[in-house]
Amino acid sequence: MKASAVLASIAREIRAARGRLVFFAGCLAIGVAAVVGVSALVAAVESSLRAESRDLLAADVRVSARRPLPDELVDFFAEIPHERTNVTELAAMASSGGDDSRLVELKVVDGAYPFYGELVLDPPSSTANLAADEAWLAPDALGGLRLAVGDSVSIGGVDFRVAAAVIDEPDRLDFALSLGPRVFLSADGFARTNLTGTRNRVQHRALYRLEGDRTHDELEELEDGIRDAVPDPSWLRISTHTEAQPTVRRALGRVEDYLGLVALLSLLLGGIGVSQIVRAWLAGRTQAVGVMRCLGFRAREIAALYLGNIAVLALLGCLIGGVLGALLPFAVRALAPDLFQGTGGALLQPWAVVRGVGLGLLVAVAFCLPPLTAVWRVPPATVLRAEAVPLPAPRVVRFGAPVLLGLGVLLSARAQGGEWLHAAIFSGGLLVLTLLLWGGARLAITVSARLPRGRLGPTLHHGLAALARPNQGTTGAVVALGLGVMVVLSMLLVERELGRALRDALPEDAPSVFLVDVQRDQWEGVRSALEDEGALSIDGVPVVMARLRAIGGETVEEVMHRRRSERGRGSRSGWALTREQRLTWQAELPRGNTLVAGTLWSDPERKEVSLEEGYAEELGVTVGDSLAFDVQGVPVELLVTSLRSVDWASFAINFFLLVEPGVLEEAPHMRLAAARLEPPEAEVTLQNRIARDYPNVTLLRIRPILEKLAAVLDRIALGVRALGSFTIATGLVILSGAIGATALRRSREAALLKTLGITRAGVMRLFAVEYSLIGLAAGLVGAAGALVLANAFLEYVLELETEVPLTALPLAALATAAMAAASGLAASQRALQTRPLETLRG
Amino acid sequence: MNESQTSNEPQLECRGVSKVLDSGGRPLTVLDGIDLAIAPGELVAILGPSGSGKSTLLGLMAGLDRPTSGSVRLGGRALEALSEDELARLRRRRVGFVFQSFQLLANLTARENVLLPLELCGVPDARARAEATLAEVGLAERVHHYPSQLSGGEQQRVALARAFAPGPDLLLADEPTGNLDAETGARILALLLDMRARSGTTLVLVTHDPQVASRADREVHLAGGRIVRDERREVPA
Repeated sequence: MKASAVLASIAREIRAARGRLVFFAGCLAIGVAAVVGVSALVAAVESSLRAESRDLLAADVRVSARRPLPDELVDFFAEIPHERTNVTELAAMASSGGDDSRLVELKVVDGAYPFYGELVLDPPSSTANLAADEAWLAPDALGGLRLAVGDSVSIGGVDFRVAAAVIDEPDRLDFALSLGPRVFLSADGFARTNLTGTRNRVQHRALYRLEGDRTHDELEELEDGIRDAVPDPSWLRISTHTEAQPTVRRALGRVEDYLGLVALLSLLLGGIGVSQIVRAWLAGRTQAVGVMRCLGFRAREIAALYLGNIAVLALLGCLIGGVLGALLPFAVRALAPDLFQGTGGALLQPWAVVRGVGLGLLVAVAFCLPPLTAVWRVPPATVLRAEAVPLPAPRVVRFGAPVLLGLGVLLSARAQGGEWLHAAIFSGGLLVLTLLLWGGARLAITVSARLPRGRLGPTLHHGLAALARPNQGTTGAVVALGLGVMVVLSMLLVERELGRALRDALPEDAPSVFLVDVQRDQWEGVRSALEDEGALSIDGVPVVMARLRAIGGETVEEVMHRRRSERGRGSRSGWALTREQRLTWQAELPRGNTLVAGTLWSDPERKEVSLEEGYAEELGVTVGDSLAFDVQGVPVELLVTSLRSVDWASFAINFFLLVEPGVLEEAPHMRLAAARLEPPEAEVTLQNRIARDYPNVTLLRIRPILEKLAAVLDRIALGVRALGSFTIATGLVILSGAIGATALRRSREAALLKTLGITRAGVMRLFAVEYSLIGLAAGLVGAAGALVLANAFLEYVLELETEVPLTALPLAALATAAMAAASGLAASQRALQTRPLETLRG
Repeated sequence: MNESQTSNEPQLECRGVSKVLDSGGRPLTVLDGIDLAIAPGELVAILGPSGSGKSTLLGLMAGLDRPTSGSVRLGGRALEALSEDELARLRRRRVGFVFQSFQLLANLTARENVLLPLELCGVPDARARAEATLAEVGLAERVHHYPSQLSGGEQQRVALARAFAPGPDLLLADEPTGNLDAETGARILALLLDMRARSGTTLVLVTHDPQVASRADREVHLAGGRIVRDERREVPA
């Protein structure tokens, strides 16, 4: 046939079944809208969260070292549009005019700091206004030195005027490094002091603001680039804003995974809808297919005609869906502006639209192939005898269609999920579930055919008979509906559990204050001060400062030299080897820690140490290695006997190095304490009391950070809820539509039953029973699949320890039955209301 | 078309054709050892009571269905050796159909229904030919009507136009007047015979109406799936 003839027949076919085909296009439109809308929303939410986490670093990228930063950094960044500001942190003594003096942590900044977030000062000011003879002091420094704004403070042999109190600084999350209360100086001010030659405990930092909104992957690439560009990267510590905060990072990672699943499943839903509508459509065209075969059309020509129809309609539906999906973020922004706080306004993503339309077409074509094989089964003799025996479809068609469908699913999973392995696992799982559904449907049909129906009453009798009737497409309906149930229910379960995890991400008893540098003889007093102020979950751990000297007999210098010579991209261990190590001791595994290798305190002969797994990797050691430390002049040799994973998001005090009790007790040490204070005002009272009674102790309030995090997590949870609900609603619409499509061809049966004298209510009852039974079977198997999928996804992808409720199984089965009955009846309304003769006459 | 065969070779030949259907688990013999040869240009009426296997035989002759045993040869080719696709190609070039229930495609207009097989054969002036054939059956004014907008007689005229337009060697008609009132039926039959006479197409006509059968060259009577009588008439009506 000529192409023009093919196009003409496509046009005719579309004209003929307008109503149903509009529904078909609509179904795809919803699926594609979900895909496009979700990816646009994801991008918007992610970018909003990136903005949020930038605040926590005050920059996009931060490069730190305990020595001056290499000049190669300048060369590396020459090609990249950026702004840079230098920050130097060091310990120094500050004194007031009287006898009061104490150790403070200087932060030397210039006018560009901070790039992101807010430096809160009282009275308000900005780094650009910090004069060379001015200093800003944290309240605990003011308290400890008995100073007020306007007084004079001496630092590094020079006097500064206290111009403001530092209430909050955006990147003060590294409190564990804190040596004392914060004091800000300008670079010019610092140059006036006699501290410029100091080498000990100086932290050099370069903060970068980059153009554009870079993703986590892009920043990781940049980080690798920096490491390649400088001669000895092991000294550098590079942080990007995406890793600024483990809680947010993890939540964001989970949400990304979840949204990938959402987009994939919504596509699948669209596919199921398409498949059911094509099935119903072709069932209504059996006679026409028979006539065409009789006129000499080959089955593949007829299939091509219908495929052409489907492609044209699918394109139409996908384009409509693309437009709707592109509009979705705008609608969501209007409803929930919170979700988009801080985004650059890139709500329209042309690439997402193109991708969505492409995926929609792929899915439409892949999913219509199995029902399209019906064309081969229509016998040409059907024009002579309606009950002519269906032909077997050729083997290549019978096996080719499902294989192509599988490939289509695999490809779209790859396009949505990003990894071949995940796509393969997902598609394989789906295949297994489909087979299970198929088996379940066959079983339900066999059982309903064998049940002694005599005693069941006419309604149930007819319903069961209808289910078991041959060639009714019951198996197909159950499989499609079951897959749909699986999709919707998995979404529901995963969304619920993820929402719970997000709510629980910040523990109720997360500490709101940290106390640093509590001396041994001060601990009892500090503890009772905390108790007096009503502090909850007080935790105090000893901290011993030490230096690493050797690993397994090889000195740190030798190790570094060796690693430098075999330097690759993995050589990041410089900071870990040379930093000032903080050791603690504890008899039991701290809360939030899990052993991943070895056993805690298992060797009575040796002094043992337990390492955090990531840190062990940085050091390049594992269980069985020995570490030699210099504990303030005293050599201590420790054997690594276990590795721990640490839940850093818990905010509890945690250490890379945990030493067996009985080793370090006599070494000079201080305590680090954490506690939760309610109400927030109690923190101020405590701060004043600590400043008065224990001026050397630094009190850090992290409540502002906690609140910031809580707000971010809330926003993520809102996003998850919004997207989850959207997909679930879409799924229900498509599923109802699919059932409706099946119901449309039942009008003749309705007419016949009414002719036989059954009332309309009676016919409705019969149909309701039949659809409920289909729904029940599909709901049971689909819900079982959903429990497996949701559980696997929660456990292996999101790494959440949850148990999905088994009650979901019967509930979903009943709900599916009810929904199937309702949509089946709704779709049969016209048939039920038409007078029987009209229908029978055709 | 007809020139491709010599006149003494049958256009259509059934040898020992049987058809057994599965009727609720029990075999039901619909046709039992049919031997029948039809010469090119012949007009054969197949008669018999309902259930005697007339329509089944017609379906086997067109390769719409396959015999349980025996052989059907159309234009010298054994149909049972052909695949579904080859059968379809054979039908589009050589076989036309007219059915009792018209079997027009409801979503196509009269002209489009006639156009469909022409387009399938790749006839160059398909549109003009479709319109000409519709004019021939007296429907020049109704080419843009849908089947539902036409009377039964008009629908059967469209079906005649569709069957004759590609110029088939063989035309199979299954009770073409069975769904029409007597007067309309007579007119349709006259039109069918007239068109056949002009095209010289071989026509096999299934009917249970002796009036209709009396216009044929030859009457083949079926009963219980067997040929019980096969008569030739000297002078066709």
